[in-house]
Amino acid sequence: MAEYKKNKNLEIVGFACSYCSFKASEMAGSLRMKYPEGVKIVEVPCSSRVDPAFIIKAIVEGADGVFVSGCHPGDCHFIKGNYYTRRKIAALKEMFNAFSMQGRLRLFWVSASEARRFVEKVSSMYNHIKEKNNEREKA
Amino acid sequence: MKGKKLSISNIEDALNQFLMNEHHLVFGFKTGTDGIHHEIFKDTLDSYSLINPVFQTNGALYVRRLFSKGVQVLLMLRPCEIRAYVELHKLTQIEREDIIAISIDCLGTLSSKNFKNHVPTDIDQLADYFRNNNSMRWACSQCSEKRGVVGDAGIRFDKNSNLWVIPYTERGEGFVSNIEGDFEDVPAEMLIDKSEKTEKFQVTMETFSKDFETCIMCMNCRDMCPVCYCVDCVFNGDEYVAKGDALFNKILRTGSMKLPQGKELFHLIRMYHVSQTCVGCGACEEACPQGIPLTKYFKGVSERLQALFSYMSGKRFDEPIPYITFREDELKEAED
Repeated sequence: MAEYKKNKNLEIVGFACSYCSFKASEMAGSLRMKYPEGVKIVEVPCSSRVDPAFIIKAIVEGADGVFVSGCHPGDCHFIKGNYYTRRKIAALKEMFNAFSMQGRLRLFWVSASEARRFVEKVSSMYNHIKEKNNEREKA
Repeated sequence: MKGKKLSISNIEDALNQFLMNEHHLVFGFKTGTDGIHHEIFKDTLDSYSLINPVFQTNGALYVRRLFSKGVQVLLMLRPCEIRAYVELHKLTQIEREDIIAISIDCLGTLSSKNFKNHVPTDIDQLADYFRNNNSMRWACSQCSEKRGVVGDAGIRFDKNSNLWVIPYTERGEGFVSNIEGDFEDVPAEMLIDKSEKTEKFQVTMETFSKDFETCIMCMNCRDMCPVCYCVDCVFNGDEYVAKGDALFNKILRTGSMKLPQGKELFHLIRMYHVSQTCVGCGACEEACPQGIPLTKYFKGVSERLQALFSYMSGKRFDEPIPYITFREDELKEAED
């Protein structure tokens, strides 16, 4: 795993569904809401397009955190894509727990109109990881 | 539960009778001059061995992409091999139509790496052998299902060293009814009991990096894994890691780099990929030239991930693999 560089800005990779969460992030921009600049969003056609291999690769290559964001369960454009996402990400989270990497991966549901919720979720994740990194540096 | 009480010669007679048909095959173990190994028998059995105390490869590896049309195959293998076969069937890599899978109670195995001759093949002697020394493979000592309770039928050993053949499905019943003898009640106590649960697997990234430090990326673990079946593996070739100019750009950007690169990536992705289908047979560790404790990680992670969905790989034919199914109301704790 890539070593942490000191004073490096946090980098969070986000996979956002193009039908809802990505729209929410665009709306957050047009409403001039601010979320941390270390958050890099990748647009995917559906949250279930996210192969857990993408997430593992992002983490191994040095990302501090990864989030997957999709439509609320039942609202998927492709009817049931996000139910599969939930199973896959839940299992990947369990695997990260086994490797003591809690909190590095998050899954949340944001619809196209919930720009505020998107900003809240992303910033709380950013702050949480930042706090943890600071603690580790102190220790 | 009803079954038939048998001796080893009864089973050999039944198999020989099965092989009378020229379109029938038996996949089991053969005693050779260099130990016991897998063998597919045609026409007649020759130096047949019911159990194999040395683990070389997982037999399900050889039934992959088996779409036998008109050829009946009888698998007489260890429980872990039958479980891998069941998983491969779920992954549509095997046509179940003409296959009868029979799992045989397993007492544990030795690694073929430190196999020394004169391992007893008699059931009682082998049980004593393993009781008296701890040469059993780690994967086998941690095995969660050594009982022959999977597949179409099972061969179980009772405490008086009798063999019992017990059908579990219609197909198994068809085979068992051709064996001589009457159905009797199976004793409740068998030689091999249900194994108790072990604690949850927990490591840190640091120990993981240390354990996998010596990996040379030969990918033998992937090639020997019975359930790692993808024809086009993402790790074929070197497209998944930076190379040439991109590699040097990356080093300039992020700092010194240890080579071969991507070994943690490879193992973590593979670990996730086989998590629901891993049967914990330890074939990966057996194939590893560097002696990396792969089973500890793959088995540990897969057991944790399977427990999440109360699933056990290869246990039942009718349970779908968790990643390809869902329930609407579940896993609320996974959402943030």
